[in-house]
Parts: sequence; C-alpha cells; structure tokens
Amino acid sequence: MVSKRVICAGCSLLCDDIIVRSDGLFIDEVIGACLKGKERFDQCMAKNRIISPKIREEGELKNCSLEEALERVDQILKRSSRPLLYGFSNSSCEAQLKGIELAKRINGFIDSNSIICQGRILNASKKFGITLTTISEIINKADLLLFWGANPAESIPRLLNKVLFSRGKFRMTGREIRTLIIIDPVKTASFNTMGVRDVALQIDPNKDIELIRALKEECCLDGSIPPEGVAGLDKDDMKRLLLNLSGAENGVVFVGQGLLKTQKDTNLIKELLELIEIINEKQQKGRISLVLMGGHYNMAGFEHVALSNTGKNHSLQYVNGELIDSEDTIVSKINNEDFDCSIIIGTDPISHLPSSLARKLASKPIIVIDNRKSATSTIANVVLPSAITGIECTGLVYRLDHVPLELKKIINPPSNVISDKDLLEKILYNFETQF
Amino acid sequence: MKMNLNTQRKVDYDQAKEHTFGDDTSLKEKLAIALLNPDDIKSLNISQKSHIKIISKYGSIIVAVKEEKDVPPRTIIMPVSIWANQITGMEEKNLVFKNIEVDVEITEEAIPGIDNLLNKIKNS
Repeated sequence: MVSKRVICAGCSLLCDDIIVRSDGLFIDEVIGACLKGKERFDQCMAKNRIISPKIREEGELKNCSLEEALERVDQILKRSSRPLLYGFSNSSCEAQLKGIELAKRINGFIDSNSIICQGRILNASKKFGITLTTISEIINKADLLLFWGANPAESIPRLLNKVLFSRGKFRMTGREIRTLIIIDPVKTASFNTMGVRDVALQIDPNKDIELIRALKEECCLDGSIPPEGVAGLDKDDMKRLLLNLSGAENGVVFVGQGLLKTQKDTNLIKELLELIEIINEKQQKGRISLVLMGGHYNMAGFEHVALSNTGKNHSLQYVNGELIDSEDTIVSKINNEDFDCSIIIGTDPISHLPSSLARKLASKPIIVIDNRKSATSTIANVVLPSAITGIECTGLVYRLDHVPLELKKIINPPSNVISDKDLLEKILYNFETQF
Repeated sequence: MKMNLNTQRKVDYDQAKEHTFGDDTSLKEKLAIALLNPDDIKSLNISQKSHIKIISKYGSIIVAVKEEKDVPPRTIIMPVSIWANQITGMEEKNLVFKNIEVDVEITEEAIPGIDNLLNKIKNS
C-alpha cells in the first residue's frame, strides 16, 4: 500500500493536498478531501458507474462491445449534417482539444457548460476588461473577501478554508485581518462561517442590480444613498460595504451563480464589472479583483483550449472544416432545433436544462460519453463509458483561478475502460478512415 | 399562493450524487422537493408530508415540502434537478433558473418519478 499526494477533481478548486492510500488496484483511503472530493473518489466503485458500452435496440439500452458502440456512433455521425458537441467541463484539456478537432472534421457545433455559467462573465469582460487573481495571491495578500450570490460552503467546500483561514506569506496575520462579506438573498450555510467583524448582507430577492447601481452612484457622488437604504439594506450597511470595498488593499469579489440570473432589460454582469472598474479607479492603495466560481473541475479549461486553438473561447461552429462567425450558443442551437444529433460529454443536459430544451435535445439521437449514470445517459442512443480523469487517467485541467494543473493517474480503470480523449480519438479515426 | 422560485445547487440534495450512488426512489426523495420557510408552510396550511403543485409560465410540477428556516418569506428553493427544470425556462437567449414567479397549490396527486419525467421528455 502506497500513500500519494494527489489533486482532487471533485470541484473547480482542485485541492492539491489530498493523500490517497492505494495498492494500484483499489483506493483504500482518502485523507483531507471534502464531501464532494470523497464522492469523486468513491465514484470508481459506485453502483451506477457505467462500465459497459451500450446501444439502443428496440427501445432498450443493451450492453455491447466498444467496437459495436463506436460503429453505431459512426453511423449516426455519417447521417448527420449538423451535429452538436456539448459538455467538456468535466473533461481534460486533451479531451477538449480532441472534441474541437472532431467538431471541425464533422462540421459540428461545439460548446461547453461554461457558456451558461461563468463563461458569461468572461464574455462580458471582452468589452470592459477584468482583473482576475489567483488562490495563492488571495492566501498571501487578500484582506477583503466578498462572496456575491455564492455559497462556497456548499458549492466549493474547501474554498473558505483556503482563502479565509490560511495565513499569508506577506501578512503577519490571517483570518484576523480578513473581512468576509456575503451578499445573498438567502441565508446560506456560508453565513455560518462569519465572525463578529464580518458583514452579512441579506438583500431583497432580485435586487442585486439596484444595489450595484446605488454603489456606483455613491462612488461618483458622495451622499447619494437614499435614507431608506437600497435593496433591503439600510444606509449604514451600504456605507460599511462601500468603505470595505474602497478601503481594501487586496479585495476579492467571488462571483457566484446568483449573479448570473437573467433580469429583464439589465445586464448585471456588465454593471458589476463597471462598479469594480470605478472602485479600482478611486482606489489609492490597492485594488479589487474577481474570482469566477464555476463548479465543474475544468470549466475554465475549455475557454483556454478553444481560445488558444481557434481564437474564440466558446460556441465554435464549423462549416466545410472552417470556423465561421456565429452568434449561436448551445441554448439557441437547441431552442431553434438547429441540430440533428448530439454528443454529450461528462454532463447531464436532460436534467439541468429547462424541460422545453430537454425535450428538443431528446428528440434527436444522443451519444453520451460519461462515467456515471444520468438522465441523459438513460435516454441516449449510444453510451460510451469513460475513465475518471485524475483517478484512472491523466489530464491537464484549469483551476477556477485559471491556473493549469496536471492530474495524475492513481489506479487502472475497470474493464479496460478508456479515457474520454481516447474515445473521441477513436470516433475521429473511424469517421476519417471509413468515410 | 404567489411565490418566487429559485433553483440552487445544494450539497445535501445533489443530482449528480444521487444518479451515481442512489436509485430512482432516493432521486425522488432527495430532489423532488421544495424548501419553504415555516411561516409560508403555515399560511399554505400544509405539513411536511404534503405535496404541492408549483405552476410557472413554463410548466408545472408536483413535489414534496420541506421546512427550512433560512429560506426567505414567499420564496421557494428547489435543488437543481429534472424536477425543478419542469418549471424553469428561457427568455430571449438566456436560461431562467432564478426569481421565477410561481403559483403554489396543495394537491393529492403523486410526485412523478424520474421514469415518468423521462418518458414525458422523450415522447412529447
């Protein structure tokens, strides 16, 4: 039995301090992982783990050989003129690159989960700019942590351990000098981590935009906060919030899912980026940076892989082997039914998209590449099992702060299951050789 | 009763975990739920054993009720799942998962299982 220090791919924080005891065949013990991380390691032996390839015959999914399943995939792709490829935030960068190569070869449209999540902030920042930071910089320097529409205690469980309680290299103190601010309409589990000098701001639902606008106005014109307060916060709360933001030497705003909601005629993200810009212009001694709290372990990776290989960070449409300009996203493609089959990799759109879109997606053949059962794999036409990246195969991934890390292999996958990158390579090879 | 629906990822009600380790029953028990604050449960005159029908402009779903004191008044929180997504939708090009106006009524109808929902999705 050997103990190894490994990186956990349970979420986008990619903790690199996990100890795993293994004999090379099974994982015996996992030390230091959170609930989500433990689940990730337990997936290897989970009862709903997908181990055998499956194809749909007479309405039923039946086990088959990998060759039969790949042949069925090839038949679907050869009949298709508008295939969709979607997912990739639970895949390595190597698999993402292979996915883009496949999309190019089959004249498909490829997008990642990021486009309906934190990628929206990166897209907005193309016009306004964005100041990002890294986890190490936060540990070493940050004195203000603002979580807006985010519940790190449940979504990225060890994030607060790292950024709030760690002692920094350039500061003599740790938690004592860090102010934690949480802005959320719901009193989430994260509120329980707050100390006496922290600021808990439970705002009225759907009033984030009013709060952002009031803060922008107060930054430009002192005394503009109305006496009755804004968004359910009183005037003193607003003043404390602004004082903390403008007085921080190294402030960090963690942007959560709560800020990605749609509000009619407003662009929350754009206005938030403008607020940060105004505060940073006013700042005499420091700055405010952003961290995007995407959940999946390689959501940030697709942006980098797509941008560095194609010049576009998401929503790639290929026609005649060339990338073309397109305003489409995965949402508009599905909504307009502008596809005739889909390859879904490491995600479950039938569960996580609204049912109107799920119905449209389900009306065309679905090929799933995943290592666990999902609503999408249950209704798919072909299911290809994949190895678990970071446990059963290696792969490059990007942490939520856009730092690249190499995941290592710990044990062999069961039943000769191969990685998603190798599966995509086989699909591409079959398509090219039998065409 | 008119309420405001928010979907959230919750560590105790996680669809990926239930799909991986659970079965159809545990999926339904953990995910086909609506979290309401105790005052709203009282005003709706229901108990934690009741079923409610939540109706939005995008659709409707029947789920079980769970009490959660930290949920704001007149708000329903549902874990992200296939059940919650029966009543979410899209506006223009954006998905709408939060701040959805819904009507809530008590019902004696059964909560649909994942098979029912998948059949509905596949065959509609």
